[in-house]
Amino acid sequence: MFKTPSHIMLVDDEEDFVEMLSLRLKEIGENVVAVYSGSACLEALEKMEIDVIILDVKMPGMDGIEALQEIKKRFPLVEVIMLTGHGTMESAVQGMKLGAFDFLFKPADFEELTGKLNEARQRKLDQLERIRKAEAAMLLRRSKI
Amino acid sequence: MIDSDNINEINILLVDDEKDFRAILSRRLARRGIHALEAAGGEEALRLLDDTPVDIIVLDVKMPGMNGIETLRHIKARHPTKEVILLTGHASTQDGVEGIQSGAFDYLAKPIEIEHLSRKITQAHNKIKRFQAERQEAEFRERIKQQMVVAERLVALGTMATGVAHEINNPLAIVRESAGWLQQILAKPEMNDMPRRVDFEKALDKIQKAVDRARRITRQLLQVVKDQSMELADPASMTEVSLKVLAQEAIALVEPEATTKKIKIVLESGEPHPIAWTDPYPLLQVLLNLLANSIQATDAGGRVTITLRASLEAVTIAVQDTGCGIPEENLARIFEPFFTTKGIGQGTGMGLYVSWGIVTKLGGSIAVESQVGRGATFTIALPAKK
Repeated sequence: MFKTPSHIMLVDDEEDFVEMLSLRLKEIGENVVAVYSGSACLEALEKMEIDVIILDVKMPGMDGIEALQEIKKRFPLVEVIMLTGHGTMESAVQGMKLGAFDFLFKPADFEELTGKLNEARQRKLDQLERIRKAEAAMLLRRSKI
Repeated sequence: MIDSDNINEINILLVDDEKDFRAILSRRLARRGIHALEAAGGEEALRLLDDTPVDIIVLDVKMPGMNGIETLRHIKARHPTKEVILLTGHASTQDGVEGIQSGAFDYLAKPIEIEHLSRKITQAHNKIKRFQAERQEAEFRERIKQQMVVAERLVALGTMATGVAHEINNPLAIVRESAGWLQQILAKPEMNDMPRRVDFEKALDKIQKAVDRARRITRQLLQVVKDQSMELADPASMTEVSLKVLAQEAIALVEPEATTKKIKIVLESGEPHPIAWTDPYPLLQVLLNLLANSIQATDAGGRVTITLRASLEAVTIAVQDTGCGIPEENLARIFEPFFTTKGIGQGTGMGLYVSWGIVTKLGGSIAVESQVGRGATFTIALPAKK
């Protein structure tokens, strides 16, 4: 079955990791944008449509949790998957309470990663679909008045 | 040593060359709860003391052959903790003084007044008891001190190891993704006819397996530190745990493996069943780890025994096996992270370190006793339910 590519953004200060993971995701046909900091992530979101963000918890400068809060405030429909080491598990849980879709341990299993990416994207699509229906219902009611 | 099961009974050795005198004295002391072993002379007394559990010697000074003072010196030289009461002649204060200078507890002049003698014996007995108690306390303090030194060392090692684990995790992720990407490329249809394709696949598979191994280690390490980040376990997770039920659960889980290896697992539990105030899941993890180790160290036909005991203050779980045992040089290092005697890839050397961390966090302690060829015993002590 043909799948339309997702628009994925990778956010991690470890450049080699971001590069390799991008290459893998591109290899399975996804659209990937790589950025290396929380602020770069927010800047990039202004300019492009993104479905799912994979966000490292531990970064210098703006860390994953701060970036997540800002993303959810300004782009609430974008789904976020937190990437965490074992030492920062608490941050991952906190992230999910703040609206992150899920979390993954680093180094992550690729199958698991793509599985969660698809689920996250589906949630975003479902949400957009509900919004469209709601908008249609709203227009319908207005036209009746 | 005095038989500790009967605290009120005092055992002494009575040394005098006069048989009738010994007999009378023995009988009269017996009525006062003092049991006397008899020797007719110095040589016989020394021979008896080599393998008789007597701490107090009542010794006549005037004897043929080796005299009392001489016997006293020999006794104190060989058994410095034993106490000697001298019986001197009526007008021989000199002997008594010389005796005390040579280490006698005290002296009594003949004729002996039985009350006086029995009081002296009791005093000597109390002195020995006190001395033993002090020595036990000193030994206990020393043991605690050593345990603390070990604990500090383990914590320092753990801190360093987890620092390393953290730093290694990121490059590990890069290696994993790089190898994974190449595997993805190899799986593409256009790569079907690639030369030496099998070699590439083999090497990439090895890289993935090595990364998995390293990842298991870093995960375990970081898990331990996470567990130890809080001083003690969360009281909310503590509950009444029947150690018998827990042990049965653990045994059920390892029984298949033990049966395959023809090893018998036995559970011995005192009455009433020991109840611990603890978190059952980490404790089960520790128990499983100890059982797995025991099964691994034991040959077919061997036996692994779990013994549960309870006192007012603590409950203990001992896991004892009839396996190969642990050499002394390894005993001191057995709870260290990465310490393993298993082959490469067989054990990470984290099992006992993790167990130590868990038990410490639960407010308990874990200790090991072993002799090569005679198996090993791991004992966990936990706070009892008050």
